[in-house]
Amino acid sequence: MTDLLSSVRAPAPDAPAPASPDEAGADRRPDWSWLPDTADAPTEADLARYRDATDRLLADHGVTYGGTPPVTADGAPTAGVAEPEPHSWRLDPVPVIVDEHEWSVLERALVQRTELLDAVLQDVYGPRRLLGDALLPPELVLAHPGYLRAVHGLRLPGAHELVLTATDVTRDASGAWTVVADRTQAPSGAGYAMEDRRVVAQVLAGVYRQASIQRIGPFFHALRLALAQVAPPGTESPRIVLLTAGPQSETAFDQAYLSSMLGLPLVEGSDLVVREGRVWMRGLDELEPVDVVLRRVDADFCDPLELRSDSRLGVPGLVRALRAGTVSVVNPLGSSVLENRALHAYLPRLARTVLGTDLALRSPETFWCGDPVALRHVLAHLDELVLAPTYRGLRSGTVHGWTLSAAERAELAARIAADPLSWVGQEPVATAGAGAGAGAGAGTAAEAVRRPGHPPAPTAAVLRTFAVARRGSYQVMSGGLARVFLDDADERPAGSDAAPDAGPRAYAKDVWVLSSEPDAVRDPWLHAEQPAQRVLTGISPRTAENMFWMGRYAERAGDKVRVLRAVVDRWDDYHRSPRSAGGRALAALLAAVGADEPASWRTEGTGTDLRALLLDRARPGSVASSVRRLAEASAAVRDQLSNDTWLPLASLDRALADERRLVAARDRLDAARQVSPRTGPAETVGMRAVLDRMLEALLAVAGIGAESMVRDLGWRFLDGGRRLERAQFLVDTLAATLTTQRSEDVDSLVLESLLIEHESVITYRRRNQAGATVATVLDLLLLDRTNPRSLGYQLDRLREDLAGVPVPVGPAGHVRSPETRDRLLQDVADLLTELDTATVAAAVTEDGRRDRLAEVLDSMRWRLRAVGDEIARVHFVHPAPSRSLDDAWGAENTHAPDADDAPGTDPSAAAAAEDGTRGADAVADDDRGPA
Amino acid sequence: MTTTAATTPATGRTYDLVHRTTYAYDHPVTTSYGRTVLTPRDLPDQRCHTSTLDIQPAPADTAAHVDYFGNRSTYFAVTDEHRRLVVTSRSTVTVAREAATVTGLPVVAWEDVAAAVRSGRGLEPTAAPDEAEWDGVVHDDVAELPTEPEGPDGPGDPSAAATDGIGIVALREALLPSRHVALTEDVREWAAPSFTPGRGIAEILADLAHRIRTELTYRSGSTTVGTTQTQLLAQRTGVCQDFAHLMVAALRLHGLPARYASGYLETMPPPGREKLRGADASHAWVSAWVPGAGWVEVDPTNDKFIDDRYVVLGWGRDYADVPPLRGVIFTEGSGSRLTVSVDLVPAGSAPLP
Repeated sequence: MTDLLSSVRAPAPDAPAPASPDEAGADRRPDWSWLPDTADAPTEADLARYRDATDRLLADHGVTYGGTPPVTADGAPTAGVAEPEPHSWRLDPVPVIVDEHEWSVLERALVQRTELLDAVLQDVYGPRRLLGDALLPPELVLAHPGYLRAVHGLRLPGAHELVLTATDVTRDASGAWTVVADRTQAPSGAGYAMEDRRVVAQVLAGVYRQASIQRIGPFFHALRLALAQVAPPGTESPRIVLLTAGPQSETAFDQAYLSSMLGLPLVEGSDLVVREGRVWMRGLDELEPVDVVLRRVDADFCDPLELRSDSRLGVPGLVRALRAGTVSVVNPLGSSVLENRALHAYLPRLARTVLGTDLALRSPETFWCGDPVALRHVLAHLDELVLAPTYRGLRSGTVHGWTLSAAERAELAARIAADPLSWVGQEPVATAGAGAGAGAGAGTAAEAVRRPGHPPAPTAAVLRTFAVARRGSYQVMSGGLARVFLDDADERPAGSDAAPDAGPRAYAKDVWVLSSEPDAVRDPWLHAEQPAQRVLTGISPRTAENMFWMGRYAERAGDKVRVLRAVVDRWDDYHRSPRSAGGRALAALLAAVGADEPASWRTEGTGTDLRALLLDRARPGSVASSVRRLAEASAAVRDQLSNDTWLPLASLDRALADERRLVAARDRLDAARQVSPRTGPAETVGMRAVLDRMLEALLAVAGIGAESMVRDLGWRFLDGGRRLERAQFLVDTLAATLTTQRSEDVDSLVLESLLIEHESVITYRRRNQAGATVATVLDLLLLDRTNPRSLGYQLDRLREDLAGVPVPVGPAGHVRSPETRDRLLQDVADLLTELDTATVAAAVTEDGRRDRLAEVLDSMRWRLRAVGDEIARVHFVHPAPSRSLDDAWGAENTHAPDADDAPGTDPSAAAAAEDGTRGADAVADDDRGPA
Repeated sequence: MTTTAATTPATGRTYDLVHRTTYAYDHPVTTSYGRTVLTPRDLPDQRCHTSTLDIQPAPADTAAHVDYFGNRSTYFAVTDEHRRLVVTSRSTVTVAREAATVTGLPVVAWEDVAAAVRSGRGLEPTAAPDEAEWDGVVHDDVAELPTEPEGPDGPGDPSAAATDGIGIVALREALLPSRHVALTEDVREWAAPSFTPGRGIAEILADLAHRIRTELTYRSGSTTVGTTQTQLLAQRTGVCQDFAHLMVAALRLHGLPARYASGYLETMPPPGREKLRGADASHAWVSAWVPGAGWVEVDPTNDKFIDDRYVVLGWGRDYADVPPLRGVIFTEGSGSRLTVSVDLVPAGSAPLP
């Protein structure tokens, strides 16, 4: 499709000139005329394949947008049409092409603009010489919520305050670049830009190789240098972290991806602490100093002591450390004051005063309502303007005046008049090549045209450019993140506020800046001046905990898949003959797996229950629920993991989604035929194939852990989690199946299934030609330390893993001593050593119970559960929940001394109670809440 | 580290001041971070001789700084686990302040004040005050921050426009709504009778204070930090902070710069009774700009211009800028028992230990 942003916009030769915006939308074809040999241009059929490949790669890489990990929607999408998932990142592989010369002009203009903004920022937090009606109305700055008085007078080391900025530009009707927004606080999207480039380079490999385009890698190298250079003076090799708002953040992927690309630990506010006037990262056993914080948390949330007291994302005392000059925060707290769109009206004047030159990049004509003249103009032209608040977080977003009814206009006018400082009116951008614009046509252009394999027609497009401080000036990323909007209901060009993607109504494009010299930019990894940067060696308790649970959930999902596979096989063979040996063995296995034993197997829905153990995310212990928790834990530690991790995780999601779709389609079919929901015989059909598919992916996850990860602290927790989970699984399944004696024929089937579940049947058969006995099965599954599926093996490995993990120092018996943890593990090991399998197998009570076996397994079981609790207690120490000190407002007016006993009010009790749930999770062994 | 340290007032009243805040918790608190504004400012009519801050348990880290408004603030972090946090500020302060009077203040119509602030251009006071004549330049405390870059490019720049700009910036800032001061129609309506055309600003200050004193009832505990001026006007009862916010809102609504001041008032025991220990209180009042006189401080709770029985801690846009103590604590528990006691007594008498 034609690009709204590309320099090269010749119509395809065989396409008639579009008669209307709608038609233009319907027949947009990508333009490949810039290719050295246009014979290589992809065909329409190629493009359809490329789009599919792009979607698949993005899913394989775990690229998401939105606050939650990729979870397939419940229920069924309409048959045949694979709607993109709500949270997947959408990317059109056809890049935006920008001519080299045009880009260099834009680049210079962006540098100029960033230098100007930087100078303004330095002034408004310093001498404030620019504030005055002639240049920059004081209220424009002083009334903006982004102006943080707590950091007035604080400076970053070096020439700049702004280190990393983004500028959103679009083309106006004349094709000229126009700025629609400045992102100066904590710009998002650089990670997406890099990922887009990787995906597109792979999907369009043929074109990519032929094209001579500028690389974006050097930008990230410059960013690393810039971060190191703003470290507090005297810091030889700075320790740098990326402060994230956590997995709930809309751009969590972008943050985690960037941290992993820059090699910076991804930390949350609770991982940092201020002590002795500086910032530290909590490690497992000690604190490590932090010198530079690249933040993705909004400034007012960064320090609940000095800024928003209700924030739980920040670090109390951060501003104190800033005042002491012991840490640098990038971009500085308070820089969002520049995101005020009202500034657009004053930048041309400021450029002439501050830089002595004219501003090169224009913005749409902007009227700040804080100026009485502008206010009158805005109120008189509400129906022609885009109305926008000066800051995010105001209840209303951007409004198109011309879409409002008379009553709505009156209501808006009243709101603006009541709070004029917080509003701007802007002329709409008549975007080049798009039907959207002021007045007529804007509504109809929103009718996006959908054809299979084609994205709908865009109505607007915005290019997010990035700049980083470099050698006294700025370096612009040679490319960027283009976003194409499919309707203008949300008016992104003028209102492209928060995030680089507006959700399902927008998609991204890579931006290729053509280059006349192949690989003109040197490759930083080969030649670069590497910034001296000290690596933070420890991992935070939060990271350790996520790694541990990642291991546990991966194992738990795999265990359940194996069990279901074994049970489904027996089901298929025996569910019609419940009284046979096979039927009774099946009953035992169903009970062990927690599925209901049906009263009458022919008519009741036990099969449905088995499928629920696979698909029902709400059911604790189901495969789907473990897979989801696995994804959550992994997303929180993306910076610790191999990129390959996402591939099998995507497969797991895909397998579950496919199966859900099939089940839903079949149910609909049944409903249409008016037959009762399927039961019994057909119920497990197809499950085996899904289970195999999932096992394959889970084996890949395990393989990455075994073969692709350095044996560092994170790995030890990952592996330890897996070992503990498998140990518990062994003990639980043995207790559920072998502690009751059944007839020999039944027990032999049960034993066989058990060996299959524990991946030991081949070995067992080889060693025990005569047939199965309980004692020999126990030998193999409990005692054999060479069997990687045995309990003995798990214990050895777990103890080895834990031995390499530092424990908090303190006197013996202190609060975080590992003594109990180690004693419990030793107890289990002793129980194993003392276990005489032949004796316990033979010790059967009159009512057919192997009571001594049951007793030993139970002793092991509670100890293993307690080990999990102990590991959490020793290693995963969460800071207690934080809250504000109760306000002395009332108390201080109390003259009478008897007020001493008045109970304090506690406005934050509810919040504390919410946070407090973590304590409960720490002891609940079975599952855990999102950490 | 304070700014234009005043010469010690030759005469005046000298006080010993003790302000103690105690939090008691049922559950242990692992860490407490706090920030105080408990050290009196040095001013032309007020001199803080000594000031100490005692925190129990002993903090692992403290740091003093001067905030945006020029107030003296102290950060502390207590990292020993505790069930009780006691923050005690002790100061000795001399106050040599004569209360302003309506007749002694320059007579300027309130509309002219508003117009001058709006336009940034000066006006001639019609009656000169005793001290420095107003020269159309208001010296702003922000300009005196120690963190401010000084030198040829600093605020001391010979360019008059720059200095002028700073003054105007502070005045304009004092017109803006703030977290606890919303500029609403309810307040405008309530205040309207005081703002008759052409009325002098000093008269208006006295009138607003008088009306608040007579129309609203002081009742401790009747409001919280979240109470709005609209709620206050509906219930007609509040505490000193509410009254200060209401008056600040009324002034800002009419284009008159106003700030919120935090400090103390010496209380007198009822005749024939001994003064109770700890019975004094944190107090709050209003600081309003009067051309030719600078910032003039009025106490609407007691319907008077402040005198030498008041000790100034600091000022800001509203309560949120200068709470005596704010903090963040880490604990599994909820709730706390909060006790505040203040002693402001003539130096040499025995205040709280």
